[in-house]
Amino acid sequence: MLLELKNIKKQFKNNHVLKGIDLSVEKGEVIAIIGPSGSGKTTLLRNINFLETADSGSMLFREQQIDLAKPTKKQILWARRHMAMVFQNYNLFKNKTALKNISEGLVFGQNKSKTEADELACQALDQVGLLGKKDFYPSQLSGGQQQRIGIARATVLNPDIVLFDEPTSALDPELVGTVLHDMKTLADKGQTMIVVTHQMSFARNVASRVAFFSDGEILEEGRSDEIFDHPQHERTQQFLSAIAEDY
Amino acid sequence: MFDSNFALGSFPKILAVAPTTIYLAIVATVIGFLIAVLIVIVRERQIKILNPIVATLVSFIRGTPIIVQMYVVYYGLPQLLVALKGMGFNTDPNGLPAMVIAISAYSLNASANISESIRSAYHSVDHRQYEAAVTVGMKPSRAMTRIVIPQLIANFIPNFSNLFLDLIKDTAIVYNIGIVEIMAEANIISSIGFKYIETYLDALVIYIVICWIFAKLFQIGEIIARNHVFHTQKTI
Repeated sequence: MLLELKNIKKQFKNNHVLKGIDLSVEKGEVIAIIGPSGSGKTTLLRNINFLETADSGSMLFREQQIDLAKPTKKQILWARRHMAMVFQNYNLFKNKTALKNISEGLVFGQNKSKTEADELACQALDQVGLLGKKDFYPSQLSGGQQQRIGIARATVLNPDIVLFDEPTSALDPELVGTVLHDMKTLADKGQTMIVVTHQMSFARNVASRVAFFSDGEILEEGRSDEIFDHPQHERTQQFLSAIAEDY
Repeated sequence: MFDSNFALGSFPKILAVAPTTIYLAIVATVIGFLIAVLIVIVRERQIKILNPIVATLVSFIRGTPIIVQMYVVYYGLPQLLVALKGMGFNTDPNGLPAMVIAISAYSLNASANISESIRSAYHSVDHRQYEAAVTVGMKPSRAMTRIVIPQLIANFIPNFSNLFLDLIKDTAIVYNIGIVEIMAEANIISSIGFKYIETYLDALVIYIVICWIFAKLFQIGEIIARNHVFHTQKTI
């Protein structure tokens, strides 16, 4: 078991966003988290990498037990250095070139030399077909290009797990395909991923397991074909039938 | 009649005290900036007890005219020193130079305004970049120095320029506590010769030139910073 989440709870004022989430992830698995907006999907990812602090719950990651409500600074840094995140709005560093966006984490998170980091960043850019844009700043790149750099920035760190937070939601429909293609390539290479997504075709075809979120709870979880073809819970059936997409 | 000879003759005399104006503005801004950084840390980290106190002080300073603040320091600081002496500190309230009082008052004033300006520049940097920086394994302090602060500085310079120019102009009232700067010298010369328009026009020209030079310097600084930080191709 690479990652095991137990009973994660989080509330903002009186709004219970996570009501006790349990989720386990094996190495090499791709877990898709689907569900309506505001159901707590993003908050779960933000709790896993400590961008939010959970009210209670624990995480077993690489055989290290971490209390999510009271993590130490050392635990936070350690965990973050073994996982990576791709954001909905890319969140590239506006003051850094495409290349430096990717190499910063290698230099300042993994203590690699600048030369080595730049070399690895060039390879990562090459893999997503953007080596020619290495000296471009985020403002000079399209959304799709920015997100592919966001993915390269995460994967270049060789993380044990990559958390994707609706990576295609902010993209022009035409560009969604390229980003999903990059993600599928990653999945095929055996990269462990948790993907919060509204792309049902991705969830169905790429994810090994799907968790359906509603109102701060995982209502249903299972193999992707099980969830899509035979959803057990009424709310899951309702959600899937309401989606216009032909998945 | 406008006496151009008088105006030309008094110009160098007024110009001779311009360094006092510039000195006061620069020293007050530097000290004010250092205090402002502490204020920003207290306010943004919401440090208990200190935060509401500092917030109240800042709003007091921003809500009152600088001449009132100067008088409060002018009459208050010596009394504070007397009180400190009474408590056993080795302070001498009688030997307090007017310049020290002016620098104290103007530094406090600048610190309040600069702190608000830094905070607004800080909030204009998208916080999500900081989040991205920590998720790639940077320490929070490193994420600040590599990602947030460079952008903050580029956003801060235009506002800072305005504050500094305002401060230069605000020094025109320190003659009230006996400091001879541009305005004081103009007052003195005009009252001797009863040539008001000539001397005040001299002062006006000197202020314009000083402010123009500093505005230009800040503008260059801003362009360098923006080009460096955001790679925007703005020219001077």
